[in-house]
Amino acid sequence: MPELFGVSDILDVISMQHFVQNMVSIPLIQPVIDFLLQIPVLGYIVALILWKPMFALLIFPGLMTLLTVLLFIIWFERKLTARIQWRKGPLEVLRWAGGVIQALADGLRYFFQEVIVHRDAHRLYFLQFPILIFIPVLLPLLFIPAGTIVGIKSPYSLAITVAVVSLIPVFIVAIGWASNSRFAYIGTVREAFMYFAYEIPFIISVISMILVYGTADMVTIVERQAIPGIILNPIAALVFFITTVMATSRLPFEIPEADQEIAFGPFVEYSGIMFGLVMTIAYEKMYILSLLMSILFLGGGNGPAIPLLGDISGVIWLFIKAMAVMVSLAFLRSIYARLRLDQALRVSWTTIMKISLVSLAIGVIINLTTVGVVG
Amino acid sequence: MTEREVVLDVPVQPPTDLFLPIPKKFLEEAYRGDDYVVLVGPQHPGSGHMRLILRIKGDVILEAIPDPGYVHRCMEKLAENRLYIQNIPLFERPAIMDTGNVTLGYVRAIENALDVEVPERAKYIRMILAELSRIGTHLYDAGILAVFLGHTTGFMWPFALREPIVEAITRISGVRVTSSFIIPGGVRRDVPWKTLEFVRKTTFVLEKRLKSFEKIFIRNPTVIERLKDVGVLSKEEAIKFGVVGPFLRASGVEYDVRAVEPYEAYDSVSWEIPISDHGDSYSRFLVRVEEIAQSISIIRQAVNELRSMPEGNIISEDILQEYSEVASSDIRGFFFKVFGNLVLPSGEFTSLTEAARGTLLYSIISDGESNIPYRARVITPGWYYLKGFMEALRGERLADLQAIYGSFGYFPPEADR
Amino acid sequence: MIKIKVPKLKMLDSVKLHVDALLTGAKEAIRPGTITIEYPRERRKLPDNFRGYILFSPERCKSCWQCSFVCPANAIKMELASNNRYYPSIDYAKCIFCHFCVDTCPVTALRPTKIHDVVYKDLEEMYTPTEGMVNPPKIIREEKYTVEYVVEGRDLILKRTREMDNLIPEIEPHAEVKEYSTCFDPESCLACGLCVNSCPVEAISITTVGQERRLKIDREKCYGCGICVNVCPMHILKLVKRPEEGG
Repeated sequence: MPELFGVSDILDVISMQHFVQNMVSIPLIQPVIDFLLQIPVLGYIVALILWKPMFALLIFPGLMTLLTVLLFIIWFERKLTARIQWRKGPLEVLRWAGGVIQALADGLRYFFQEVIVHRDAHRLYFLQFPILIFIPVLLPLLFIPAGTIVGIKSPYSLAITVAVVSLIPVFIVAIGWASNSRFAYIGTVREAFMYFAYEIPFIISVISMILVYGTADMVTIVERQAIPGIILNPIAALVFFITTVMATSRLPFEIPEADQEIAFGPFVEYSGIMFGLVMTIAYEKMYILSLLMSILFLGGGNGPAIPLLGDISGVIWLFIKAMAVMVSLAFLRSIYARLRLDQALRVSWTTIMKISLVSLAIGVIINLTTVGVVG
Repeated sequence: MTEREVVLDVPVQPPTDLFLPIPKKFLEEAYRGDDYVVLVGPQHPGSGHMRLILRIKGDVILEAIPDPGYVHRCMEKLAENRLYIQNIPLFERPAIMDTGNVTLGYVRAIENALDVEVPERAKYIRMILAELSRIGTHLYDAGILAVFLGHTTGFMWPFALREPIVEAITRISGVRVTSSFIIPGGVRRDVPWKTLEFVRKTTFVLEKRLKSFEKIFIRNPTVIERLKDVGVLSKEEAIKFGVVGPFLRASGVEYDVRAVEPYEAYDSVSWEIPISDHGDSYSRFLVRVEEIAQSISIIRQAVNELRSMPEGNIISEDILQEYSEVASSDIRGFFFKVFGNLVLPSGEFTSLTEAARGTLLYSIISDGESNIPYRARVITPGWYYLKGFMEALRGERLADLQAIYGSFGYFPPEADR
Repeated sequence: MIKIKVPKLKMLDSVKLHVDALLTGAKEAIRPGTITIEYPRERRKLPDNFRGYILFSPERCKSCWQCSFVCPANAIKMELASNNRYYPSIDYAKCIFCHFCVDTCPVTALRPTKIHDVVYKDLEEMYTPTEGMVNPPKIIREEKYTVEYVVEGRDLILKRTREMDNLIPEIEPHAEVKEYSTCFDPESCLACGLCVNSCPVEAISITTVGQERRLKIDREKCYGCGICVNVCPMHILKLVKRPEEGG
């Protein structure tokens, strides 16, 4: 029988030494970090934050970056749309910077607004689902490798990430059910339809990439991408991109939320900060799927290393790639009209399904023939 | 100061039954069967307040019954209490952008009654104003169609494209939308050459920017997908249900009041009638897009014609009479003296105009003695094609309601008057 | 007659249309054709014939009431001033800015301006008495630029200039016709005296000679406002053009 962990082992795990061994190294500010580590309590906190798993959870790709991206992409989307539409977009909040903190101002306003729970709602679920939904949103971030920084290493990290991301629509359906209103029901049903329609091609494209790389460990996938995945299997990249558009309900597949038809669908009954939370779900999902796309197809944290930044270099490359994907997703909003539900379903069950099977075939071929090239 | 509760004992009972302007049998039948009765509106569904009562089986509309009148403003009754000249701003109100055509129709009815010959220069200026309004209205409707389809750029661009048109109307008449510029016998002011040149240049701006608009909205695959083969009205149906204007032409009928009974200077400029054989929502939209191109061509020809004409003389001498020497190029100072006590000979006088959305009929009945109309009848194109609109909905999906609504450019304030 | 062709959505055409739409969007994102005028900071240059706030010159007014007669919205009310004359006042809650009154005024006493952004606290304040119409209203002008739409190279361009636009354009007085009131059918006169009471300059008088009452219109005093013409129950008065001076 193996020995139980002694007190000394636990102390070892939470000791500063343990954190410092596996710390994010940033040569540029190394003297500052070294100085901070000397200070008793502050040093411990700095070491904890810079401990790679904690860094992944708190800074990148975790909470801090998620919040910054949310604030930025909402503003950027409005600004880009306005630019294409010959307008100016949000401008008055922090005018000299082009209204960049508009989303923050809106968030603050949401915060001080009353949260109205209407009579027919299932009060308990109505209030807890928007918060519970952060579980499937934040969990995948732990598995996403940014260069050398990764929260949890696992040979099945890609599979786990995809599985957890697929949970988000279930929560949205639950939100729609808890809202107990007509528009919410219609939106929920539409969400469920769309969920089945995009999830299968989405998973097929991911599987084809697993076949291409011969592994489901994202760290290894990034390492093996001497040639980016988008060149190895462009069809899978296309399918992944289109299904991402569907999954994040962007135009032309903005069917569950359709403002003009069903007034934001499942989220119609929310107000105040609760609306702020549910409104950002799609953007959070978009962030995760963009990270996933840049890891699977664009080489993740690979890129010319910047010696001064050390480990942060990979973080920056991944961030840039993910932002590029998000910007192209935001760009679609001003180009397309909304398809009808049946048209969207037809597109995904026929065209996209066919293309995804082609991508799977390409994956199989690559897997069988060129083990030496990438693996 | 202490707060105290005030109880108001008001004997008001909330209504217990829902009033629907449909027979009870219809509801009972629908509920007994497998159908649903769905009320769409009267919240603002895009372009005005109006209710549609739909009978639905599954996702398919079996029958559509309109419930218009939410923005009825008694235009005709109000007109009976006003001087003839005061009705011009009144009749402009229903159609936001279509000021040129709406005023032109009313003024032409008065001119018919008084048998006034309008000076050539005034005719061309009026035609330019009417065509500018037509382009503006078509762009407005395209914007509403786009917002129904969830295409935000398709909504913003036409409204931005209206801006040069509005600017041109401002320079001509001095006000952005309700110009009240066309008066019996001519127009209120002469339009200087500089303004006409701006109008001509504006048409090039429209042409250039409409090309981008065509790529991003008109020929956008998702838009084609949504509109094509939706809400089809065949040629026979369109004639039977009395559809007018571009919507009739989209079903393959070559009818345009401007061509059949030319008024103003439409017979001296060359232009084509765009028609389509499909009769679906997309061709209804495309016909109006092509009409914009035709209107642009008409405006350019009109400006070229005006170039060779001497300035001044824009109000008919028949109507100015003793003030014709001083007021023939500028009505200022003599407006009330000329039009204040305008009395029409007794009888009924009618004019047909091709407004942007279709045939517009004005009928004025005068008793021959008073300076107000005894009866004024306005039938707007929206009212004409409402039946056709309802028939186009039959057999379509509920989600296509918006697409068909937008393709007809149905504008409740115009139809309800 | 033009036949409209509906594009067919074959696979390849569809891809081309998708690419077209995306490229157009990208082009606009890089070089946008923005036409926004940021209003309080910039002001659109309006044409001189713009129909805005109406100014009034009482010294020109001859109290003919025509502006209030022609107003389609009943916004103009004639107010009795201290000099026993009636002057117009405008209720801007009702005014629709058709400027029929401006076109009506025979002596250019009403003048249009380009002011269109006056702020009122409540509906009562929107009623502007005659004194309020003499001077332009107070507006706060924050603009640094005046913007004009200019067409250059087949595209709309916003031309910004640093100067402040003059919102009160000089209006040339238009042609006037000097007229006086006269009776064309004295036999029908009832001698009711309504015209005498209505005349603002007391040009009409009634003298009683025995059984007869005589109506006398003083051509020198009369300035042709036409109120008596409208008042006369028998419709026997009319305005006649005054012969040219020295003619």
